[in-house]
Amino acid sequence: MSIENKVFSGDTLKVGYRFQRHWDNSMAYAFFCAELGAGLYFVSMLLGSMIGMIAGLVVVSTGKPYFHLAHMGVPGKSWRAMLRPDRSWISRGLWALAGMVAFSVLYLLCLAFGEQFGIRPDSALLWVLQILSGAFTLAVMVYQGFAMSHSSAIAIWSSAIMPMASLLYSLVVGVAVVRVLLPAPQAAALTGSLELLLLGLAVMHLMLLHSGWHGSPGARTSIELLLQTLYAKWFWGAVVAAGIVLPALLLWFAPSSAAVTVIVAVGILAGFMAWRILIFKIGVYEPIMSMNPFRSANT
Amino acid sequence: MARMGMVFDLKACIGCNACVVACKQENSLPDGVFFTKTLSEEYGVFPLAKRVYIPTICNHCEDAPCEKVCPSGATHTREDGIVMVDDDKCIGCNSCAVACPYDQRTQMDAEKFLKGLYGTGEITPFEEQGYGRYTPGTVTKCDFCSQRVDVGLDPACVVTCPTNARIFGDLDDPQSAPSKMIRERHGRQPLPEKNTKPKVYYVN
Repeated sequence: MSIENKVFSGDTLKVGYRFQRHWDNSMAYAFFCAELGAGLYFVSMLLGSMIGMIAGLVVVSTGKPYFHLAHMGVPGKSWRAMLRPDRSWISRGLWALAGMVAFSVLYLLCLAFGEQFGIRPDSALLWVLQILSGAFTLAVMVYQGFAMSHSSAIAIWSSAIMPMASLLYSLVVGVAVVRVLLPAPQAAALTGSLELLLLGLAVMHLMLLHSGWHGSPGARTSIELLLQTLYAKWFWGAVVAAGIVLPALLLWFAPSSAAVTVIVAVGILAGFMAWRILIFKIGVYEPIMSMNPFRSANT
Repeated sequence: MARMGMVFDLKACIGCNACVVACKQENSLPDGVFFTKTLSEEYGVFPLAKRVYIPTICNHCEDAPCEKVCPSGATHTREDGIVMVDDDKCIGCNSCAVACPYDQRTQMDAEKFLKGLYGTGEITPFEEQGYGRYTPGTVTKCDFCSQRVDVGLDPACVVTCPTNARIFGDLDDPQSAPSKMIRERHGRQPLPEKNTKPKVYYVN
């Protein structure tokens, strides 16, 4: 069954698939900023890159709240989103973001000015702050995937692949961007890690396509939208070619240079941005029910 | 305690949309906002072509996914099973909207109130008195006309339906009209595979 035979009701009063339209591009940009910023901070922290940590923290603490508030219907009450961490991933995410920003700022301040106040680089306080900021950053890297997979309404999102995708993309963009910020020898040392992460990304995409295609009617419809409609050129062109294949080829075959490092990072960022937008656009609600006796499960 | 629910008789529904109009009137809904819709489906070919009508509404699920994901606690279930949204607590994040498998949530954009029912920007006195109950930006849905249920009345759509295609009552009471109908005519819930346990049933 191809996509042409499916009924998309849109805003009409017909029985059919309806597009997810509640989370728009603002949310995609917010997710992008969170995963980019948290990934960059996390990788930079592991590698000891102060400039990377600051850049990551700035992206996550400005871009994410800005786009979330732009999306929100009542931004003045956004603090209320912290009230239900017992059941809502949005709530948990907000706590994780607050924890990440608070402990990361403290950690960076102690790193930069600690010695003036008697905090040595090997002190227990720095170690505790590093662990705490790292833990909260990891939570920010992954929680958006859980927020999506928690919902059974959008079948393609309702999968364990979503948190995995969040974590993987976060690490990939983190490593790709930190390579631009690090001196050449250190950046070159990360080539193998980035190649491995890109391989992981390719496997993750294959898993999503496979599980969606063989999953529920809604998930299959989303994959058909991704592969058979105008979204296909963005998926193959931006997500796969620019975001995975081109960087991988450059890493394997091109001689190491600053230009190549930048092109790899830009390609990966473009692929990631396209992926974040596409995954919201291909989300569909399944038809509530059908009385058509000729309708198969996949239509 | 009661467990309020609704049954749709698909054989009786004629797709007149009187329920939709009654709902919009009762709840003063702005242009483009519907708490209930009557969907239609056509199949077969002439002379055996058929059109069926499938009314939809918030299913007031027992295991409501919208309630689980709400980060502010705005969505909650009353003791009688009606799933409500507290306007004062809603932040308009739309997480309930993406969590509802039935796509029954609508955001009350400020523009919707400014446009007016006729899209001309002119607000009628009827709209003026009704719009005050909503906070622009919040996400709303059907609440089974809780203001009517509280005083012992049926929801506006049920009262208006000329063919008795909508039956409302206590699903915990085996003698109630909806319970009997579900039992006798093998009522089925929409998208049962989503495990939300809707309190809205369809019979045919």
